[in-house]
Amino acid sequence: MASIHLQNIEKKYGAFVGVQNMSLEIADEEFLVLLGPSGCGKTTTMRMIAGLEVPTDGQIVIGGEVVTDIDARDRDVAMVFQGYALYPNMSIYENIRFPLRMRGIPASEHDARIRRAADMVELGAYLDRKPGALSGGQRQRAALARAVVRQPQVFLMDEPLSNLDAKLRQSMRVQIKHMQRQLRVTTVYVTHDQIEAMTLADRIVIMNKGAIQQVGSPDEIYSDPANTFVAGFIGSPPMNLIDGVAQDGHFVAPGVSVACPAHVRGKVTLGVRPEDCSVGGESAQGMVYGVEPTGDVTYLTVLAGTKKIEVKAARAYRSDIDVPVGITFNPAHLYFFDDQGQRIRGAA
Amino acid sequence: MSRPDCSWATAKPYRSDPMGPDLSQVPAQGVAQAAPDRRGTLPRRRSPLLRKAFPYLLLAPAMVYLLAITLYPGLFAIYQSLFVVKFLTWTWTGFGNYSAILQDREFWAALGNTALIGAISLSLQTAIALALAYFAYRDPLIRGWRIVFLMPMLFMPSAVAFIWKLAFNDGRVISDLLGRLGLIEGNLDWLGSIWLARLTLIVADVWQWTPFLFIIFVAALQGQDQEIEEAARLDGASWPAIFWNVSLPMMRPVIVVAVTLRGIDITTMFTNVYVMTQGSPGGATETMSYFIYRQGFRMFNFGYASAASVLMLILTVVIAQTVVKRAFHSGKQ
Repeated sequence: MASIHLQNIEKKYGAFVGVQNMSLEIADEEFLVLLGPSGCGKTTTMRMIAGLEVPTDGQIVIGGEVVTDIDARDRDVAMVFQGYALYPNMSIYENIRFPLRMRGIPASEHDARIRRAADMVELGAYLDRKPGALSGGQRQRAALARAVVRQPQVFLMDEPLSNLDAKLRQSMRVQIKHMQRQLRVTTVYVTHDQIEAMTLADRIVIMNKGAIQQVGSPDEIYSDPANTFVAGFIGSPPMNLIDGVAQDGHFVAPGVSVACPAHVRGKVTLGVRPEDCSVGGESAQGMVYGVEPTGDVTYLTVLAGTKKIEVKAARAYRSDIDVPVGITFNPAHLYFFDDQGQRIRGAA
Repeated sequence: MSRPDCSWATAKPYRSDPMGPDLSQVPAQGVAQAAPDRRGTLPRRRSPLLRKAFPYLLLAPAMVYLLAITLYPGLFAIYQSLFVVKFLTWTWTGFGNYSAILQDREFWAALGNTALIGAISLSLQTAIALALAYFAYRDPLIRGWRIVFLMPMLFMPSAVAFIWKLAFNDGRVISDLLGRLGLIEGNLDWLGSIWLARLTLIVADVWQWTPFLFIIFVAALQGQDQEIEEAARLDGASWPAIFWNVSLPMMRPVIVVAVTLRGIDITTMFTNVYVMTQGSPGGATETMSYFIYRQGFRMFNFGYASAASVLMLILTVVIAQTVVKRAFHSGKQ
């Protein structure tokens, strides 16, 4: 059980900056998700916490102890890898036992702890199999058991579900969250999947190009995005971002015209989520570009000017293409961003 | 479809003839497609017999060549081993040569020498190559300059043997170096002692062939999943523990194949013996190959030499088969 402090850490590979001047406080027992597109520095950040990469600059503190110069094997940290990283020559039992052996835990305790860990991930019946004889989901559960068995201070999970199919991913997600709550171990979880981030996290850290874009609870990230990157990254389909001009309390873009707060002026970007748009009305005018029924909702794409606007329409909505259509934006959920992409908040 | 303006109709009207019908009014499906022009090329047909024989015909040149230089001499050796051959006089003896060989003390000595020198040399080069590979495989320099490490095995074996002969015996370079280091006084007679003579053969073989194993082991280690090693580090394993528990077991199939190849090579060790020691002192460095050579080309007992090489072939095949089979069988479980 430990909190983690990242103090101004930086990672450079030659001239390339992997992670720039990052500071982050992760509370004890917190489930923190690092979310971002590939190459944004999230995995590098995690590997620095693990001790597999040495930061170029800055300090890492785990449980009150500065660990920047401590080798990976001496930081009490367990990691689950994307590719499972099980030892192929050992049985699942021996795989789970390996960290106990390496850390000199008395042999008399091994069996009980291994069985407890295996039961936690429902793998008790497969202990004498080799990893090669297990399915992808079972392997990942074995990797979880190996991480759990030595009761580390910190769990690190590097896209643990991305090699699994969609259905398995959902059930593993629940299992991971349940386990984290049960064990109350500080967890850092890396993913590029926003659904995983939203469902698992206590707090989400959104990263892009090596820098933190926003830190917040899933609700905050979703309903109060700090900039256009966060707004466009979260949500499925993501927020509509429409470039236009605001003047005298009115925002105008090709095919779009809505009221806006008086302090919003000049070249701005309007953000509106598909679920805050409804068919019929005056906010935007355009032609139907496509209709995608998914079963529980229907996604409508409208071409307004040159911009495609996504609308979450009623389940039964159907239309042919190239039919004129009007859209209403919910005025309570409009977001405005300045020409740097930063959110314009409050009255100024 | 409720769309009145299909794209083919709004597209620029195409008229082949200003007075002809307006083709833009003809549905796309109705326009005749030009048939592919097949004039002048008759489809080629092969007789079913030729079609079946074709792969074998393609293989034939290589097969004939291989059979001519391996199978024919092999069969000839087996046939010859049943005779007492003195140049052109062949006298049938059945398994006489074999029973004589099995009672020949020199044969058993040669077999023992081969096993002894081979085993020491092979263990040394495997251990050195493994250690070097494990220390070096992460180094980008070694990835880039692999070929440099292969140099010793690219040299002509006989040239290498002569260099070692010069270094140990004729040129006394090694003795001189050891003397300057203060390890020995005067000149060491490398051929005067059984173990020193064997040592020269071992040193020469290790020097020339460690790179072969090294390069294979480096490739095997580089091919291993980096994540597994990192997982072991986070599990608390030290570098030696990772090597013994994780890397080495994963390399096992590669090690077995490489060592078997090298083992077969060492069993037939000839060049170094021929050039450096000629079996001296007192046959202590005579290997199987040299024994066969001596019987055949020094004493002209061709039937006897053939019988010895047949025995050696059987021995090599059996050992190699057993080792490979066992290693791979247990690896699968």
